Amino acid sequence: MRITPYVAYAKKNFLGRSAYRVDHFLGILSTCLQFFIFYEIYRALYGDAETIDGITMSMVTTNFIISMGLGMVFRPNDFFLPGKIWDGSISTELLRPISFKGRMIAENVGDSAFNLIFKFIPVFLIAFFTTGIHSPAGIFNVALFIISAVLGYGVLWSISFAVQMTAFWLINIWSIVTIKNVFINVLSGSMIPLWFMPEWIGGVLKYTPFSSIYFTPVQIYLGQLGTAEIVYKCFIQIVWIVMIYLIGDFLWNKGQKKLIVQGG
Amino acid sequence: MNDTLHLMTVYSKTTARAWFQYRVDAVLRSLAVFARESTGIIVIYFTLLKFNSLNGWNIYELLFLYSLIFLTYGIMIIFFTGLRDFGNMVREGSFDRFVLRPRGILFQIIFVNSDWFAAIGHGGLGITLFLISAGKVGVHWNIYNALYYLFAVIGGVLIQGAVFLFIATLNIYLIETGSIKELLYWNVRKFAGYPISIFNKGVQFLMIYIMPYAFVNYFPAQFLLRKEDMSQYPEIYLYLTPIVGVGMYLLAYAFWLYSLKYYKSSGN
Amino acid sequence: MSFIEVNNLSKAYRISKRKSGIPGMVANLIAPKYERKEAVRDISFSIEKGEMVGFVGPNGAGKSTTIKMLSGILYPDSGSIKVGEFVPYKQRKKYVGNIGVVFGQKSQLQWDLPVEDSFELLKAIYSIPDDVYRKNVDRFTEMLDMSGFINQPVRQLSLGQRMRADIASSLLHSPEIVFFDEPTIGVDVVGKEAIRKFIRELNREDKVTMIFTTHDMQDIEKTCNRLVVINDGTLIYDGELNGIRSLNGEARLLDVFFSEDTAVAPIKNVQIIDIDNRHRQFVFDGQKVMINDLMSELLKKYNVKDINIAEPDIESIIRKIYNREKVLA
Repeated sequence: MRITPYVAYAKKNFLGRSAYRVDHFLGILSTCLQFFIFYEIYRALYGDAETIDGITMSMVTTNFIISMGLGMVFRPNDFFLPGKIWDGSISTELLRPISFKGRMIAENVGDSAFNLIFKFIPVFLIAFFTTGIHSPAGIFNVALFIISAVLGYGVLWSISFAVQMTAFWLINIWSIVTIKNVFINVLSGSMIPLWFMPEWIGGVLKYTPFSSIYFTPVQIYLGQLGTAEIVYKCFIQIVWIVMIYLIGDFLWNKGQKKLIVQGG
Repeated sequence: MNDTLHLMTVYSKTTARAWFQYRVDAVLRSLAVFARESTGIIVIYFTLLKFNSLNGWNIYELLFLYSLIFLTYGIMIIFFTGLRDFGNMVREGSFDRFVLRPRGILFQIIFVNSDWFAAIGHGGLGITLFLISAGKVGVHWNIYNALYYLFAVIGGVLIQGAVFLFIATLNIYLIETGSIKELLYWNVRKFAGYPISIFNKGVQFLMIYIMPYAFVNYFPAQFLLRKEDMSQYPEIYLYLTPIVGVGMYLLAYAFWLYSLKYYKSSGN
Repeated sequence: MSFIEVNNLSKAYRISKRKSGIPGMVANLIAPKYERKEAVRDISFSIEKGEMVGFVGPNGAGKSTTIKMLSGILYPDSGSIKVGEFVPYKQRKKYVGNIGVVFGQKSQLQWDLPVEDSFELLKAIYSIPDDVYRKNVDRFTEMLDMSGFINQPVRQLSLGQRMRADIASSLLHSPEIVFFDEPTIGVDVVGKEAIRKFIRELNREDKVTMIFTTHDMQDIEKTCNRLVVINDGTLIYDGELNGIRSLNGEARLLDVFFSEDTAVAPIKNVQIIDIDNRHRQFVFDGQKVMINDLMSELLKKYNVKDINIAEPDIESIIRKIYNREKVLA
């Protein structure tokens, strides 16, 4: 497999993003505003309390900044394939001598790299110096955090990938994508820390991929997990990536057949 | 007049038909909007399970506060879907099409599309929340209250409509307004379900004077609930919602007319 | 008094000099700074009812600005436009009911819906009476051979089919004037021919006034009898299509094929157009350059396989005019 065209796609997206500078700064401002408002809400909720259920305010803050920050970096384009099916360009796209799936990944990686450097890092620094967020538990945790964050990205990406495949049959999948995002927003811990979820939901969550997107990296960053647990949770992340990707790939093959039979 | 009504019916028929080309999506659409907008509610609900109250507001009072946002948005979007999507029209150049047709330009933008799914999703959520909370927040409903509520809803619809019209108009000057809208509108909206008194002064200023969401739900809800934290704000704010709504809408409309002239002489 | 009267029309754009960053954006909103660009300078012409006129000119020459003013989208800075009894930019609503505009690159059809649904919507927008609507739909369906796809969603149509439907949609209200902006762009050769044939027929039968802007000179050569060339905001030619040949002296063209890859050295008074490494065209004024001299020079210097003498097509003449204008300016 030649790697050059994929690097070119990633680069194209990376550079393309930097064209809208004003938009970009407003995006950072927007995330900061969101973060500060969450911060205010939890300050009001905590009041004078030091910890609630053993969770300190700074742990909550850290959870928000990491999950919102990563959320900003990940952001897969849920309408990449549906858009191409809707406007009919998919049939020509599939004739190109490169893997379409590879290209989906490449374009996303380009976007994400841009977001990581120009969005996550500034927002993280602003939050770090203005609110009391935790420093990472140790250098070892930083390394493992990065690994599990990349795996979390994999989980999120493969969910998006599998959901996009339904566009082969439904063409317009705005509703399905929206509902998917509701699940991710509520159950991944990016809007309410999973520590504060009722126990029964925590029980159910174990059997879903959502908590392994942001919450596993957050726990590793904070040093809440022992080595054995870290290995186990990262393994779970990999299991989810493989399982969801295989479902997506199955739909992808079926969908392409359908495309050939019906001509789009 | 008859002709205009006829055109409005044809517009809605066309839109409906276009939606139902994708049946699964159309069926799920209102549900999806309902679910997406419930995200904030679910978060508040779970949070309050843990923390009991937020600055003196219990869960029902918070739901009552939240309900006004959805109700007013649900009504507003019936009329202003076209303004929501106006940025795309300008970018794709389909705005010139409106100028080339023998109908009012704003009329076309408003009636060319009505997102009934969003209206049902938002409005339905607003009504649901109202029904859950209205009996449990200690309001004695009478004709006086009900009238106040009605005017507050109308005012809230106008405020949000004015914001949409204003941001849509900005598209005549700027190519990309998505982030401004995200920053000023959606962000603020996301948190407007909380009593503004919990926020710091800067955010409060934003929500009262810049993107005056406080007049959409906080002050009207305070009129009925009279929570303690109202003491920090002038009493008169409880009655301003309709005036703010009409005022903002007129301003936004004047800006629109001015910008239309600008467009025709600069033709960007 | 002609049907369309344009007198001393001028329009300058203000191109905003954008500053970057957020303070720059705020500054742009409050106190924008502009650079003036004169898009159209003092243009006058008149068009009679039923004429077919082609507007050509390079990108940014001012032709689309002119058309936008004619169709009422833009206000002129000075000068006047009168179309029939209307002043386009002043009586927009009344005026646009009488015109049709076809944008080759921007469809006005509903992407997700069958063609006929878009027609129905336009019927309501233009308040077209039932009988006129029925008659027009039937007639255009037949003339443009649309019966096979009129019930198909637009997104499933080929570009040529979509363009035909788009053209029909702009004519449903029986406009007196139709503006065509790149009406055949992206359409295959057969499709283009069908569209041009339809346009000619419509003009002959209904005496509809038609104004074209296009990059495809074939569109104009096969439909129009009058050509308007605009370059750098000014009108540099307005007259019969064939008249432009004489404007350029006695233009001749030599079409030469070489038997090997050949680099041709510049020749005085001759414009050399590279078709490919073995094929070149030589355009020149027959009064300045003797065709025999040129041919013998070429045969002597290079390995020539085949040679043709032709009259240059209008496209290359016009390209030559643009170039000369550029040199003069």
